[in-house]
Amino acid sequence: MELGALLVTQGAALRNPERQEMSTWCSVWPVVGKTVAERWVDRVRSMRVNTVSVVDRCVSVSDRVQRMVEWAKEGVEQILVIGMGSYAEVDLPDLLHFHHEGGHRITRVFDPEGPLGISLLDRSAVLRDAAARIRTVPPSSRYDFNGYVTRLSSTLAYRKLVQDALEGRCDIRPSGFPTSENVWIDPTAVVHPSVTIHGPCYVGAHSRLNAGVTVSGYSTIEENCEIDLGTSLECASILPNTYLAPGLHLRNAVVDGTHLEHLDRNVTVDLGPIALAARRNSISRENGL
Amino acid sequence: MKTSGPTIVTHLPAKQSKLHRGLFLDEIKEMVGQARRPRLIVDLTSSGGIKAETIDLLLECVEEVEHADGRVAVAATPEAAVVLELTQLTSVLDLFPSVSDATDETPLMVQPPSADGMSPMAA
Repeated sequence: MELGALLVTQGAALRNPERQEMSTWCSVWPVVGKTVAERWVDRVRSMRVNTVSVVDRCVSVSDRVQRMVEWAKEGVEQILVIGMGSYAEVDLPDLLHFHHEGGHRITRVFDPEGPLGISLLDRSAVLRDAAARIRTVPPSSRYDFNGYVTRLSSTLAYRKLVQDALEGRCDIRPSGFPTSENVWIDPTAVVHPSVTIHGPCYVGAHSRLNAGVTVSGYSTIEENCEIDLGTSLECASILPNTYLAPGLHLRNAVVDGTHLEHLDRNVTVDLGPIALAARRNSISRENGL
Repeated sequence: MKTSGPTIVTHLPAKQSKLHRGLFLDEIKEMVGQARRPRLIVDLTSSGGIKAETIDLLLECVEEVEHADGRVAVAATPEAAVVLELTQLTSVLDLFPSVSDATDETPLMVQPPSADGMSPMAA
């Protein structure tokens, strides 16, 4: 039975370094090396699903439905629709089995708090009344899930997922090699010998930690970042392609380029005008990929 | 840290050119030079984001006030507070959400505005 998967991300535009929107949680933020969307793609591909498409939420519902209709016409028999509003370790084979055994046309996944934005649709359900489906929610069956879920509605929730990954409370495993103190450092990262890291923490690919840097409290430094001399990170996530100036003390915050979101004070500050942070050119752009 | 001397409430100059900064610091020097263990409260609650010049000026205030064995406090918006914490200025000055919170710690001596109304000002 051929299966297709449509992943709907949120706010991919924020990843674009040319844009200067305020940073709030966005599904393209990586979690210890990979985004939630990339992890979903890995999971569905591991089930030998070849028809996978990732679209941003800003793509209209009718366009998304149209894409599913095209797949259905091409012979895809079931379509898994995954919204990036949550990270849920749903047992996909079990979901497929439930859907098939019950003869359901549409199955929606719920946890005790409500729907998770994950649905499995039969080809017939996609083709029938496709236009009407845009306006109304068709009847569906309910698949109850009790495993690991984090609803990714805020930066705070993002930090929780990061901590759970570093603690091994979910199936997300950081890329790179762990040391004895639960510190994961990508082999391409450059860490000065004087750097102090109290795990669990993560240092991503092509990142550089300069002399005297201190990292602690489930902090993560994603791909292609530079943390300059003597800066300390505590309970912080530094998103890809971010430079942090020397001598800073960053606590309970997420920094994306020049935008800092402080989780205790619930404010976002632009550090660009005071030269405390900067956006680095992404590696792929430098290489022209 | 509490001081037993007078408390002075001031705003930073709106224009932070070299001239305005110099005038401001001269007035600060004059005030703290006359006081023993003064407490200078800088009101940043009405300013938007903090500029690099603001950080430099605050550090110069700290230096002047510490010469008189005093202490600097800053009343700051949450955004400004984040920057002050990030740059570790909170290790040399005290941070408060409002001027009234800052003044609650010691009796208040309000400094009248200077002739050009630039600084220092009453809260």
